[in-house]
Amino acid sequence: VAVVPDAYLNPAAGSDDHLVGLAAAGWGVVALPQPGLPAHVERAALAAVADQLTAFLDDGYEVALAEPDDPLAGRLNGVLVAGGRRLRAGVSPLTGPGSQAQPGRSTVGGSEHVGG
Amino acid sequence: MGLTIRWVRRSTRDDPDVVVCYLAHCLLNANAKVDEGARCAGVSTPVLALLRERGATIRQMPCPELAFGGTRRFWAVREQYDTPAYRAHCRRLAEPVAAQVRADLAAGHRVLVIGIDGSPSMGVELTAADDTWGGRPDKPRDEDYPVTPGAGLFTETLLGLLGEEAGALRAVGIGQDLFDYDEERELAKLGGILSGDGEPGAR
Repeated sequence: VAVVPDAYLNPAAGSDDHLVGLAAAGWGVVALPQPGLPAHVERAALAAVADQLTAFLDDGYEVALAEPDDPLAGRLNGVLVAGGRRLRAGVSPLTGPGSQAQPGRSTVGGSEHVGG
Repeated sequence: MGLTIRWVRRSTRDDPDVVVCYLAHCLLNANAKVDEGARCAGVSTPVLALLRERGATIRQMPCPELAFGGTRRFWAVREQYDTPAYRAHCRRLAEPVAAQVRADLAAGHRVLVIGIDGSPSMGVELTAADDTWGGRPDKPRDEDYPVTPGAGLFTETLLGLLGEEAGALRAVGIGQDLFDYDEERELAKLGGILSGDGEPGAR
């Protein structure tokens, strides 16, 4: 799971589309809130992101910050560290997340699926 | 970052014609789906490609089930999640989303909430509900999962928080949690809505 800034979801015109590269390599993404939100909205949004990442981290998923120097990534990391969790810095879209994939759990299912 | 693709797309900032799409979390991160429930490895690339093609602004909503039940949860129905604690959890997650939706509407943007039809939480037109479903997860999920008309709990909470402002947005479910999921059909539906089908003065 790659944690990405809003600029990955919404790249500026003419800029590189990193999200497509991550998608092609099999990464799922969790987006940080967009910059410029009111502080209380940003706090609530970051808390929601932290809750979700905690679920992945506690179940052994590889979770990495795509842009560790992003200010919002720093604030997210602060929330996670306070809860005793830590994110890896940096993702490699060329290799994808497969090398540390969750053993015994397929995230790619068949044609029948229900729930969630 | 080594592998990137350069897209030519219009700027979405301060553009009243742009559609701001609030995506169900799992459309960008299939790892959040119930165990063995994902239809792709990570990002739903056909959906992403369609949104890129239309120049949509993308926002990712949280997955309420992931944060509540973790990654190893089983498939469930609305009634199993419909507790005061889960509703409070949905409300806490939906409040910042609602605030962003309000800001986008106030900026004059079109807002489209894209949920997952068949989901007990993220369904829009179809959810899963059954008064008797529960206990051990030994029912054959591919035969009798009770898909029923209605919205999922998170969708219901979000639209409830928005109140009358919910009337200013569109919501659509992509049927990834349905047995007869037909990607081509669902993309055509989404594409039509992005084009303004069904809206007054449709573009």
